[in-house]
Amino acid sequence: MSLDPLLTGDPLLTDDTLLPAEGPQKRSVYIWQGAIVLVLLLLFAGLGFQLWRTNHAEQRAAGSAPAFTVTTFDGETISSADLLGKGVVLNFWASWCDPCREEADLLQANWERERENGIVFVGLDYLDQEPAALAYMEEFGITYPSGQDLQSNAARRYGIKGVPETFFINPEGAITEIVIGPITGQARMDTLLDEIRPVQ
Amino acid sequence: MIFDVGHLLLITALLLAIFGVVVAFWGGHTRNVKLVASSFNAVYATFALVALAAVILWYGLLGDHFELSYVWNHSEIALPNFYKFAALWGGQAGSLLFWVLILTAFGTAVALQNRNKHQVLMPYVNGVLMFTSVFFLTLLVFAASPFERVAFVPADGQGLNPLLQNYWMVIHPVMLYLGYVGLAVPFAFAGAALISRKLDNEWVRTVRRWTLIPWLFLSLGIIMGSQWAYMELGWGGYWAWDPVENASFLPWLTATAFLHSIIIQEQRGILKVWNMVLIWATYFLVILGTFTTRSGVLESVHAFARSNVGVYFLVFLIIVVFSFLYLLFTRLPLLKAEQPIDSYMSREAAFLANNWVFAAIAFATLWGTFFPMFSELLTGQRISVAAPFFNKVNGPLFMLLVILMGVGPLMGWRHTSAASLRKQFVWPLIAMVVIGVVTYFVGRSIFASLGLAVLAFAAATIVQEYVRGLMARRATTNENYLVAMGNLWRRNGRRYGGYLVHLSIVMIGVAVVGNEFYQQTTNVTLARGEVVQLGGFDIEFGGMRVENESNRDVYAAQVTIFDTDSGKQLGEIAPSRNVYFKTPDMPTSEVGLRMTPIQDVYVVLNGWDDTGNSATFTIYINPLTMWMWIGGLVLMLGTLIASWPSPTRRRSETFSAVAYATGD
Repeated sequence: MSLDPLLTGDPLLTDDTLLPAEGPQKRSVYIWQGAIVLVLLLLFAGLGFQLWRTNHAEQRAAGSAPAFTVTTFDGETISSADLLGKGVVLNFWASWCDPCREEADLLQANWERERENGIVFVGLDYLDQEPAALAYMEEFGITYPSGQDLQSNAARRYGIKGVPETFFINPEGAITEIVIGPITGQARMDTLLDEIRPVQ
Repeated sequence: MIFDVGHLLLITALLLAIFGVVVAFWGGHTRNVKLVASSFNAVYATFALVALAAVILWYGLLGDHFELSYVWNHSEIALPNFYKFAALWGGQAGSLLFWVLILTAFGTAVALQNRNKHQVLMPYVNGVLMFTSVFFLTLLVFAASPFERVAFVPADGQGLNPLLQNYWMVIHPVMLYLGYVGLAVPFAFAGAALISRKLDNEWVRTVRRWTLIPWLFLSLGIIMGSQWAYMELGWGGYWAWDPVENASFLPWLTATAFLHSIIIQEQRGILKVWNMVLIWATYFLVILGTFTTRSGVLESVHAFARSNVGVYFLVFLIIVVFSFLYLLFTRLPLLKAEQPIDSYMSREAAFLANNWVFAAIAFATLWGTFFPMFSELLTGQRISVAAPFFNKVNGPLFMLLVILMGVGPLMGWRHTSAASLRKQFVWPLIAMVVIGVVTYFVGRSIFASLGLAVLAFAAATIVQEYVRGLMARRATTNENYLVAMGNLWRRNGRRYGGYLVHLSIVMIGVAVVGNEFYQQTTNVTLARGEVVQLGGFDIEFGGMRVENESNRDVYAAQVTIFDTDSGKQLGEIAPSRNVYFKTPDMPTSEVGLRMTPIQDVYVVLNGWDDTGNSATFTIYINPLTMWMWIGGLVLMLGTLIASWPSPTRRRSETFSAVAYATGD
């Protein structure tokens, strides 16, 4: 961009035109120098402003959440892309998993409390039979969207160690915390939820 | 544990580099031999530390240490070892580490080569290079650490971006980085010349080779990137004027202009300011390109992990730009041209025109690249200028450039007589007219013929130069043609290697014209055994086949190509889709390709039904495209010949060493 001013003028421009000399020639040198500096300053101002705007909506580089798509037992399709802008609690579970039962009530209670606050709970049923899964959900009165993780696609991509395992994903789509095993107590849950709460 | 050591190594390297900058500038300023020696040692030691840190990250990648955030995000157990190794430059933090590794390696090579030469310049060269290292090490320590941990220990990583799992894509970034980073060396010499006020031709002579080598890497990097796009992305082309592509092309343009204009400074003592500006612009564009593509300021199909490195880059860019301008403005009187340009009919005038065209292309490209950003800032709407803008503006400019490429070498320095012009231009002009007319009758496209005619003109001038050179050698030495050719290259490599590079540009131009104007394409769904005809070929679909590999499934279509006229079978190809287990919704395409120097049959598999009884294809016939890759090889050969040390020119550095010790 800075090249352009140097290129205008005489086609056989040599460096003489750029040298400080006496009188009007010297002044034209200063004008050129000022113009070059000004153009560059404008460029940097533009870049800086754009950067500021970009950073504003930027995810932290902690590790962005892999994409997933799930069809819930109610027949609704949810994909991770639709959930951007909301805090997501992604819980891998199974009806055959005993530790999952320890946290089931806690998850449901917090879903009921937080659903108006821009936080979504999603259950991914890992290696399970549908009738058994439905029975489990009825037992705990689970109403947040939950569906089978077909072919364990999401489980593979999230690299889960087992069930239960819960991923906390912020509105920008970055994982803020991963809990392996059941979540212990409301206090722990509150801390985790605060990290993914969208700014109202 | 070992990864904490890695982080510690980077911190130590940063401190050492800061120390190196200080002693280099201070030692250079006071001409203190001990401080200068210390700066050399700092260069070597920084390189060693960074290399060790890189080895530790490689250990983490190859050993599947997913507790490292970087490894978790860019690798997985099932990834072949080759790609685990290459994952070092597959993401933000790792590629920054790789960048510093190359930078410090270049710095060490320069320091070793010039330990006892250029004693006024070298301390500052070390200083400028180390300053750049300080910047990148700061990024690694504070903004994007490759040794950052995740809070838990994941069982497996998330896998490498499937698009990057391709051999070309593994080498392409390495080449680009070698080119990008290497261009810091000529910039460092220019900076050193300005700081020390030693603005004679010394720095220009020294940087020619140090510019040619990075230029070669950059050129090859760009060509390999095009090859990857052509083979992998499956849209039938090789170049899309995408911001990241432009980011690599912009410094290439200014570096190429620089390589030409330093010849004039060497020969005629003019254009000194211009050369300074060019090498500075090159370096500026390298950093600007890195900044824009990594900070998310420009949108691009190239997915780089975003992180908070943007602010650091912007600050560094501002420092580089304004400190350089300050130096340049205060030293203008010392950069006075030694003589004026005598005539428009001279080689220097042709070179100057060439520089203008390069600068114009660079400016147009820069404008088009940043236009969306400024339009968004001013109007709130992001208006992208697409490929047609770049093609319309840069196409004619490139044609002009090719004409100058043919004309320049035929002119004499200072002035060319009319008689000599006639003698030089008869055959090239005949070639131009013949090719133009013939291709028009074959291809029926006026612009394509115009382009090919101009390319023929440039090619003819090169052939003529070679023929003259060979004749002259044979007349005096009686060598056979091969020996004479070898001697031309060995004794005058700069000139005849340069012509080879020009020839390679002509070849690439031929490929561009062929692909741009003569491409044919069709979309078809074929049942098993069905045939489609395009551009003189019968293309038959023979069914689907699936192969299971460690981290992906490959779905390949069996396609056979026949000649329409003779019915002869020409070859079998297998356009395919790779479905990666970690990212099944991002299947990558593998183009089925039959290459010949005349034309490529290029088949993309778009989809298939589950039974494998039918499949949908996009088929392109791309004439002359292979010349782009041949051109790449010729370019490499030519650059190597041009930069190979000549047997006849060796200079003694003893005198300058004595002068330095006496402070002269």
